[in-house]
Amino acid sequence: MRSTRGGRVGADELLVQVAGGDHQAFEELYGLVSGPVFGLVRRVVRDPAQSEEVSQEVLLELWRSAARFDPGRGSALSWVLTLAHRRAVDRVRSARAAVDREQREARRSHNPAFDQVTEEVEAGLERQLVRRCLDRLTALQRQSVTLAYYDGYTYREVAERLALPLGTVKTRMRDGLTRLRDCMGGVA
Amino acid sequence: MSILARLFRRGDLHSLAAPYALDALEPDERRRFEKHLKKCEPCAFEVRALAEDAVRLAWSEAAQPPFAMRDRVLSAIRSTPQEPGPLREHAREQTREYTPRLPAHVWGTEPAASRARAPQRRPFFVPFATATATAALVVASLFAVQANQTQDKLKAEQAQAREIAHVLAAPDARATTGADTQGRSIGVIASAAEGRAVVTLSGYDALPSGHVHQLWLMRPNVQPRSLGLFKGDTPLVTTGLDKSATSLAVTVEPDGGSPQPTTQPVVQLALKSVGFGE
Repeated sequence: MRSTRGGRVGADELLVQVAGGDHQAFEELYGLVSGPVFGLVRRVVRDPAQSEEVSQEVLLELWRSAARFDPGRGSALSWVLTLAHRRAVDRVRSARAAVDREQREARRSHNPAFDQVTEEVEAGLERQLVRRCLDRLTALQRQSVTLAYYDGYTYREVAERLALPLGTVKTRMRDGLTRLRDCMGGVA
Repeated sequence: MSILARLFRRGDLHSLAAPYALDALEPDERRRFEKHLKKCEPCAFEVRALAEDAVRLAWSEAAQPPFAMRDRVLSAIRSTPQEPGPLREHAREQTREYTPRLPAHVWGTEPAASRARAPQRRPFFVPFATATATAALVVASLFAVQANQTQDKLKAEQAQAREIAHVLAAPDARATTGADTQGRSIGVIASAAEGRAVVTLSGYDALPSGHVHQLWLMRPNVQPRSLGLFKGDTPLVTTGLDKSATSLAVTVEPDGGSPQPTTQPVVQLALKSVGFGE
């Protein structure tokens, strides 16, 4: 069992109760997950209004499909954040698809590949830890991981942006993630 | 595609675990990989571990969501049905026959002595947050209902959504809610000037087939007038409410509704606080 950072243990039980239609449990679960969900969605989606919209959709989906959560396959918080990440990425990709290709090219040549992590003050310690660990990755590992996770690019797009072969990007992503795990204490 | 390329591609699937954990696959690839995962226990194991790693990246981004979001989400779930899962199926087996559990009270021109919780007594001008909370509730229930509907129905829903927006936009729009002791509730946003109202029911069990919730308008010394039938969780938009209306009531009626109520109301709500009852 994981440590109780952010109430990991509690969230599992709450989610099971939510699956049984328990409003009270949902309210408690909201308290635990709304911050991480909103923060993650905003990191990926950027636009505040859209971030709020996506976060709400995720939290409603959490209510609707709580019964799909299988405690044997991972923690509730991973499940929720995986769901949030997927919805955020879907949103940002469909928005991107709508952007004129030319504009995209222009942006590509100006933007640094690794955007600065937003200057948030919340989530202080965890954030510092993640940043420190990201700093310990090689530049390519870090870029491969963050362009995909925080910016919502597919690994093909990442390869294109970094001018790397697909195979290399996949390997960098894998190495980057496992190195993060080691740095952050793995399964704490 | 050559056989060689295909074989290569299959062997290559394993290397997609990390991009999959980062949500960095294109839809086709994602589907292919998920199919593969079902047959490959070690891959599934690896993906779970990598996904946990990815989630650490999420934690560091936690931020305080807008305060109003909480209200919106919490009220929206009240009208959002849940997908059945193994647990829900089990619960369903134990579902008993529908029996109205609210106290019986006499049909009349006055609403029942308040069994509702405090909110009923606290009318308020719809402040922005409340209006959006109700709008979120309305949108959420529309969304839930729309999920498996035909184009025609969708058009009708969209027309209704416009009607709802119309009521919400009225300058004198006010909201009130009433809840029973089991937390089931009726919510109304009404504009007395326009004689329109949006009514939502939440927390009520689905009725057995052949039954519907019917909404009634109550006025002094007059028989109740039907305002329409609820379809699932969809809000009901009513028009032509006159200012003498004192309350709304909901009964369970046979499919198609009744000309006059045939059962005790399951819930009743006074309209005075939203500008009626003059």
